Amino acid sequence: MPDLPSLDRRALLGRAALLLGVTATGGFGAPALAQAAAQAKPFLAAPAFALLSAVADTIIPVTDTPGAVAARVPALLDGLLANWASATRKVELAEALTRIDQRARDEQGKPFAELAPEMRTALLTVHDAEALKPAPQGKSPAGAGLSLGLGTAVSDPGYAKLKDLIVILYYSSEAALTRELSYEHAPGEWKPSIPVTPDTRPQGGTPF
Amino acid sequence: MFDAIVIGSGMSGGIAAKELCERGLKTLVIERGRKIEHGTDYTDWMQPWETPNANMVPEEELARDYAIQRQCYAMSAATQQYWVKDSEHPYTTPENKPFSWIRGYHLGGRSLMWGRQSYRLAPMDFEANAKDGHGVDWPIRYDDLAPWYDHIERFIGVAGSKEGLEQLPDGEFLPPFGLNDAEIQFKQAVEAKFPGRKVIPGRVANLSHAQPHHEELGRTSCQNRSLCERGCTLGAYHSSLSSSLPAAERTGNLTIVTDAIVHSIVHDPKTGKATGVRVIDAKTKKGSTYQAKLIFGCASTIGTAQILLNSKSDAFPNGLANSSDMVGRNLMDHVYAVTVVGALPGGPNSYYQGRRPTGLYIPRFRNVTENGDFLRGFGYQGAVVRPGWRSTLLGKPGIGAELKKRGRGLAPWVVALGGFGEMLPDPDNRVTLSNTTDKWGIPIVHIDCAMGANEHKIAEQIVADGKAMIQAAGGFVLSGASKPGVPGLGIHEMGTARMGRDPRTSVLNKFNQAHDVPNLFITDGSAMTSSGCQNPSLTYMALSARAADHAAQLLKEGRF
Repeated sequence: MPDLPSLDRRALLGRAALLLGVTATGGFGAPALAQAAAQAKPFLAAPAFALLSAVADTIIPVTDTPGAVAARVPALLDGLLANWASATRKVELAEALTRIDQRARDEQGKPFAELAPEMRTALLTVHDAEALKPAPQGKSPAGAGLSLGLGTAVSDPGYAKLKDLIVILYYSSEAALTRELSYEHAPGEWKPSIPVTPDTRPQGGTPF
Repeated sequence: MFDAIVIGSGMSGGIAAKELCERGLKTLVIERGRKIEHGTDYTDWMQPWETPNANMVPEEELARDYAIQRQCYAMSAATQQYWVKDSEHPYTTPENKPFSWIRGYHLGGRSLMWGRQSYRLAPMDFEANAKDGHGVDWPIRYDDLAPWYDHIERFIGVAGSKEGLEQLPDGEFLPPFGLNDAEIQFKQAVEAKFPGRKVIPGRVANLSHAQPHHEELGRTSCQNRSLCERGCTLGAYHSSLSSSLPAAERTGNLTIVTDAIVHSIVHDPKTGKATGVRVIDAKTKKGSTYQAKLIFGCASTIGTAQILLNSKSDAFPNGLANSSDMVGRNLMDHVYAVTVVGALPGGPNSYYQGRRPTGLYIPRFRNVTENGDFLRGFGYQGAVVRPGWRSTLLGKPGIGAELKKRGRGLAPWVVALGGFGEMLPDPDNRVTLSNTTDKWGIPIVHIDCAMGANEHKIAEQIVADGKAMIQAAGGFVLSGASKPGVPGLGIHEMGTARMGRDPRTSVLNKFNQAHDVPNLFITDGSAMTSSGCQNPSLTYMALSARAADHAAQLLKEGRF
């Protein structure tokens, strides 16, 4: 099993110190600690982070534009776990990751992160379709950010949330907004009609 | 001793201060919240990838401190600084009768986060109460306010189109933010099928083209970023910080105190006048009193009711200016959160560029050109857009290259129409003081307010008419629920110190002057005698300017 966090086990400080680069060679003096403190503290331990990275990059792979890993989505999601997610949410997201990994072990005899990319895609495509099947009324709706309110309840809300967060972080990233979509922070003029060409990309940064 | 005190620095207070200062009155603005610096304290510089936590407020903090404020669409990590912590500013409601009071306590108040939609009330709105008997008659008519609407529109800058509609008078407009191709197609289909209905560009207080008098205040033309609710460093939309307070400041007559919570207004029974304002320092909790010859109440509809009700004396045992027992009553919002969404598969093969700060507007047509089985009416705000990844990807199956392909493709056009319906004045919808006090020792408010039968009928008609218009444009309806949202979420609270002709049934006269206290003027939403269905801030500002002009005239004549 990957080393997923549990809420009552946050004895990750030693590992975190290593990941932050606070080592004897770097020295334990004030400058090294200050530098370390200025960096984001990883929430997930290395094996869990590897699983998250594999999942994120399978959901949003490199194509002719950067994928989730190049856009730093795993690190940003780790930041959300540390700084944004509630205790319940942390468990929900960790469980969603675990289910993917367990499926890989059950079906392929290997952790998800160790599967070949095409095998990950095949496995996660099936998992994704099952998890996002419309569910009977009463389950919590999918959809993490603003949408037009058309979200429906799905069978695995935890996976839906995990995937939504990956998608939100990717499409809010500089890599995606400048290379996958089109985005100008200050567009200047409002042009109510422009022609559609093969190069036209949707504008990022819109509320819907 | 000041000539005038203005309680509150938001939409109404900013304009009242400007108009009083420009007439030579030494004016003190009292703001309960902290000081915010125009520009430097804003977050509009943040790129999407620079917002903390993907622009989401931490979940436990949101649940603990922002249980009510989180219901507002504009609340995010980038705007978090503008919303009160509900945990620090409690109020009560009856069980099963929620009211969502959305607030920001800081210099400029909600003028920083407002939706900027700016519509005049029409002649029929000022006549509605007299005609159907709900509420009392407005003591003014449209013609009384028309020149003040002109005055405010010119000053704040409103982008819009002239349409010649009796139910939505034209104003002094900057060029509109034009409709996109799908909206034009929608407009043509709706107007062909339903003569009398109009689809027009939303009228909005953003400078589509800044004029010299805007530039003098450091304001520039809108850059179509749609980051307005973060505060606009460019001053491209009207707020107290970008526009009215700088105009007041340049007269040399303005003084501002922040972190000063108004406890009550002091009344002298010998003269019958208000003499000053008691405040409590938000940080030190020390009390003090400011004195002035006249006082403007602009603390917002619920805030003003709270102050008046808490200003008890032997002369006014039920609260200042409350001999009518109407202070706190007739609380209104708009019928809100009734939205119809549909797809327009036959939309044009084009797109748009930029993020305009408005959308389309459908002025009221029920009980204007078409009958309704209810009183009054409603309008719609909306847009026809090609939705982005939030709508096409979130919650939807599919991964990998297919997901990215879908995300970079232009989505089919989607139309969204959100109704804003008139709420009738009802004396039982009211604000009272609770026995509990806040941490400054001021009684917190108890808000008892619900939508009535007429409002529910309006909500049903909003959905029925919205669906019919989407279908008329060749679209199919995706969603449309006709239950009105919790009152308050329209953020258009009004009515708790209404204007009227009779001191026995109203609080304010035709110049927003308290019937009971001649040097007290109330010009925020509490003055509204009826709600119309139009976004009300423009009317508050016009009333504020008109009242300030009158008050300054009375002062000059030595009446105070």
